[in-house]
Amino acid sequence: MPATPAESGPASLPMTAQPATRSTDKLMTAQEAVARYVRPGSVLGMGGQNIGRCPMALTHEIIRQRIGGLTVAGCNLSIAMDQLVGAGLVSRCICGSGNLERFGTTFCWRRAIEEGTLQVDDYSHLAMVTRFLAGEMGVPFMPTRSLLGSDLLPRVPESSPGARAGKALVVDNPWAPGEPVVLVPALEPDVSIVHVQRADRMGNLVIEGFSTHEPEMIRASRRVIASCEELVSTDEIRAHPEQTSIPFLHVSAVVVQRFGAYPTSVHRYYDYDAAQVSAYQAAARAGAPAVAEYLNERVWGCAGFDDHLARTAGPDTLEGLRQAMQAIV
Amino acid sequence: MVESAARSDGYSHQELMVIEAARHVRDGDVVFVGTGLPLLATTFAQRTHAPNVVCVIESGVIAPRVRPTPISVSDPKVMYQAVRLGSLRDVLGCLLQRGLIDLGFLGGAQIDRYGNINSTQIGVPGAMQRRLPGSGGGNDMASHCPRLLVITRHERRRFPERCDFITSPGFLDGPGARRRAGLKDEFAVTVVTDLAVLENDPVTCALRVAQLMPGVTLDGVRAETGFPIEAAPQAREVAPPTPTDLRVLRQELDPARVYLKEEEPVSGSRR
Repeated sequence: MPATPAESGPASLPMTAQPATRSTDKLMTAQEAVARYVRPGSVLGMGGQNIGRCPMALTHEIIRQRIGGLTVAGCNLSIAMDQLVGAGLVSRCICGSGNLERFGTTFCWRRAIEEGTLQVDDYSHLAMVTRFLAGEMGVPFMPTRSLLGSDLLPRVPESSPGARAGKALVVDNPWAPGEPVVLVPALEPDVSIVHVQRADRMGNLVIEGFSTHEPEMIRASRRVIASCEELVSTDEIRAHPEQTSIPFLHVSAVVVQRFGAYPTSVHRYYDYDAAQVSAYQAAARAGAPAVAEYLNERVWGCAGFDDHLARTAGPDTLEGLRQAMQAIV
Repeated sequence: MVESAARSDGYSHQELMVIEAARHVRDGDVVFVGTGLPLLATTFAQRTHAPNVVCVIESGVIAPRVRPTPISVSDPKVMYQAVRLGSLRDVLGCLLQRGLIDLGFLGGAQIDRYGNINSTQIGVPGAMQRRLPGSGGGNDMASHCPRLLVITRHERRRFPERCDFITSPGFLDGPGARRRAGLKDEFAVTVVTDLAVLENDPVTCALRVAQLMPGVTLDGVRAETGFPIEAAPQAREVAPPTPTDLRVLRQELDPARVYLKEEEPVSGSRR
């Protein structure tokens, strides 16, 4: 793997020999899963996008355990990444964008970059998908026609013999000389976190609705922790195998967490909570003290994600979000 | 003198920008679009002159019947009755890079003389003043769409001679530069602002004034543009919206005025 140092830290594991994925019972708590698979310095693949299906319960658990020095990789990185940055746990991002669209930018992320405490490897979203695609296919790199001509390509040629190719490399198409094409290196996260609709104990995952970059990222990852809204039986998975998005061989841990993406949405289950996204954004915009207060109250001060939900949302709010989604799907 | 959001003749600058942008969407176009004003313009075109427009949304949504009014590409309202909810690879790879998209909507903090777009940072590399969200799918759209449409406020700082950082390629350095970089030659940029409609000159590739918003002069545009800009030979005035246009936009597409309410007062002196 043509990795930069940040991508092959102490937590790196070989892509082969994953006895954990062959286990038939991967059900565990978020606390256990994060303690077992997320290490300081890990390259953390981040699921979800904007205000959709962000793995908030697993993110909170990483914050609760204060696992730092992380490189967060994804396409659009939003509220989950921003809370990790706000908690001081991220040193690098590899991504296509950081923002929450209508709710504004990712303020902790922006502040950390501008203050020089956070490095970003900028790609386009397709270039990130292409990096994960190389990873999931078990090849060292993959071509794309994006990035050409732009400043997202390295400014100085880094392709001198023996030198590493950097974050992307323009080469001649061997089958059409004179036609430039961009190569991007495989990205194989040490561990990815995702929140999906359904899973069984083995780790077969059912993703409904839009799937963002997750299929490629999950299959490219050395370890995958999936939280789910509902645990289903393996018999049910076997009865509808065409609906399995990710077979168990790619997954290391399954965590059951109802409303585990709150305050972001889960297709067919619940809508996003605009008020709570805005509440976090207000703290993030205000600066480090307000973020620390938010995290103290909403994460470090909570025994777990159910406690967070009870304090932050409450049953009426959650039921309202469920009904809002049902009105639209 | 400061005008209120609603013009005295019954529409805001922002409403006309959306409606004018929609006029550049052709019936049958497959349009790659995010949320906000671009989605309003695309759905407006669908409801009026271009019923066969197909929307593709970056989060993996293909051919939805968008409900009012989504605030994010991962908002359930943007996915309503789609034919497929897929992955980023489905839409960015298998449709966009594959060459099956006709028109893309893009935004950014800066757009320069050659239609290059910056959404990464203000300040050149090594001297960053403000970090911006980054490319998202923007670079992919500018790399692979034959036609780009940009809706933006017309301010001098937004229209520099050269972007601080080229996130999404326009014509790069001018004629032939896209081909030399390995991008497709078939490419056109249209920019709809509150002062004018800009398009690239087919020979020089530089942006020029194709149309002026009602009451705006060429000098007014030049005062707010950071590079020398010429007018196209037959530069006309943008047609005002009809009552039907305004009804569709206000009552069907953004009834809660999620986007349209945000019109900032426009100084009369800029006109």
